[in-house]
Amino acid sequence: MSRVAIVGAGYYGFKPQTIDLSFQDLMFESSSRAYASIDPRKDIDAFVDCQEDMWEGIAIADEFAPEPIGGALRPTFTVAGDGLQGIAHAYMMIKSGYFDVVAVESHGKPSEIKTLQDIYRFALDPQYIRPLEPGNPLFYAGLDAVAYIKRNNVKREHLAMVAVKNKNNGLRNERASFSTKITLDEVLDSRFSIYPMSKYEIAPFSDASITFVLSSEENVRKFTDTPVWIDGIGFSTETGSGATQWHEFGRMKSMREASKMAYRVAGLDGNVDKYVDFAEVEDRFSFMEPLTVEEVMLAKEGEAHKMLEKGDFCFNGYKPINPSGGSLSMGVQLEATGLARLLEAYLQLINKAGMHQLKGVSKALVATWRGVPTYSSVVALLSA
Amino acid sequence: MMDMSFEKKGRLEDIVVWPGDQEVDKFVYTPGIHGTEFAKGLKDGKILGMKCKDGKVYVPPLTFCPDFSKGEIAEIEGDWVVITYTIVYEDMYGNFLEKPKVIGFLKPVNGEGGLIHYLNVPIEKINIGLTVRPVFKEERVGNINDIKYFE
Repeated sequence: MSRVAIVGAGYYGFKPQTIDLSFQDLMFESSSRAYASIDPRKDIDAFVDCQEDMWEGIAIADEFAPEPIGGALRPTFTVAGDGLQGIAHAYMMIKSGYFDVVAVESHGKPSEIKTLQDIYRFALDPQYIRPLEPGNPLFYAGLDAVAYIKRNNVKREHLAMVAVKNKNNGLRNERASFSTKITLDEVLDSRFSIYPMSKYEIAPFSDASITFVLSSEENVRKFTDTPVWIDGIGFSTETGSGATQWHEFGRMKSMREASKMAYRVAGLDGNVDKYVDFAEVEDRFSFMEPLTVEEVMLAKEGEAHKMLEKGDFCFNGYKPINPSGGSLSMGVQLEATGLARLLEAYLQLINKAGMHQLKGVSKALVATWRGVPTYSSVVALLSA
Repeated sequence: MMDMSFEKKGRLEDIVVWPGDQEVDKFVYTPGIHGTEFAKGLKDGKILGMKCKDGKVYVPPLTFCPDFSKGEIAEIEGDWVVITYTIVYEDMYGNFLEKPKVIGFLKPVNGEGGLIHYLNVPIEKINIGLTVRPVFKEERVGNINDIKYFE
């Protein structure tokens, strides 16, 4: 079977608001850039769009998907999920042999949503949780955070270290609108927002659209001299707030299962830690970064926070984690958040990350989660 | 090659926006066969679970057991234990709440699963493993807020 490569990427936005453009304009902007040397009406066989009605403010929003990505009256469909799930679809479509070139787009325009908090609340189970008044629907992440830190004897300082690392990493990244030169003491002196996290440890939101073009191995050279191979990809969904009773708080089992699938697809024999040079992983809440690092088996159980403390995950460390600054610096772009992590890994691997380019990297891991209150995860392994 | 992107507007005066509403805030939810029993139980001041063939009592009660068989409604009695908790100080827009909300995931000692609810426990005393009991309101309507909190 043909290998699958990323042969182009484009993006637009990554600002707290983009009031001059509609969400369809954002899609057109990112896609125009991804297709800079590609004619989507001739070269692309199929189109996958990732968006969710409630975020768009439009019911049955797939009606708005095709035209701004070049997919009208072509094999086009919409996934109501994270953009990295769309990449998994495209990967399988190319592997099936029925498609050679597939585009994937996802976007988020949270600045337009006047009732963002109400939509998050609307995602909670209507019988058992939504009638409560938790004050913030993201409280759900606090339940996992406390269970994780108590289980592994993680201190508040460790969670603050994630914020300090990622907020400072973002200073070198032009897409990181929320980066800031913050110190550990400043984070530790700030008040809790959702215990055990301060506002610096909960990612804000930004607007962006991101488009990728994937190709079968046989067609790669038509588009680029610098393909990035998707060596493996895996996905898994656990429960949501409708089956809280089946979730083990403080773990992300879907992340573990997604990583196992990705490693199996990649034929990875043994240690992922030896295989990848750096990783872009879920960090929309500070605790999610070390937890994800453990769930994808880049660190042993209970070791991630110790490696963080030693500086292993720093920009110049043993295994840089989120050299882009992650979601804590770049924001959450709703369904495009997974593609933001993929974009940063891709740019590193083609040596185009600019000021935050890592030296000598050729293999990366990307791990994302769809966010509260789901437990849906996708993990991908990439190589240059 | 294709046309590339458009010129962008920079002046706020040149930008047009209009407000809209999402027509989704009116819904009727059906809790299902055992979900209805659970709601009735709350009204009677009880927390009901579902006893399965494995002898365990699951809460909240779905209509079906983990082994795909049908379960039977059974009351949950005794203590509950704090599995995890959080304290909410701030809403998503950064507004501080008048009073922090203490929320836990609570599992019955004599059952499986659990519920998310408020904890009426002083913040310095909250910990994983603490045992608590539900406190019901006097006026009950058959929803999760019939439980005032666990303490």
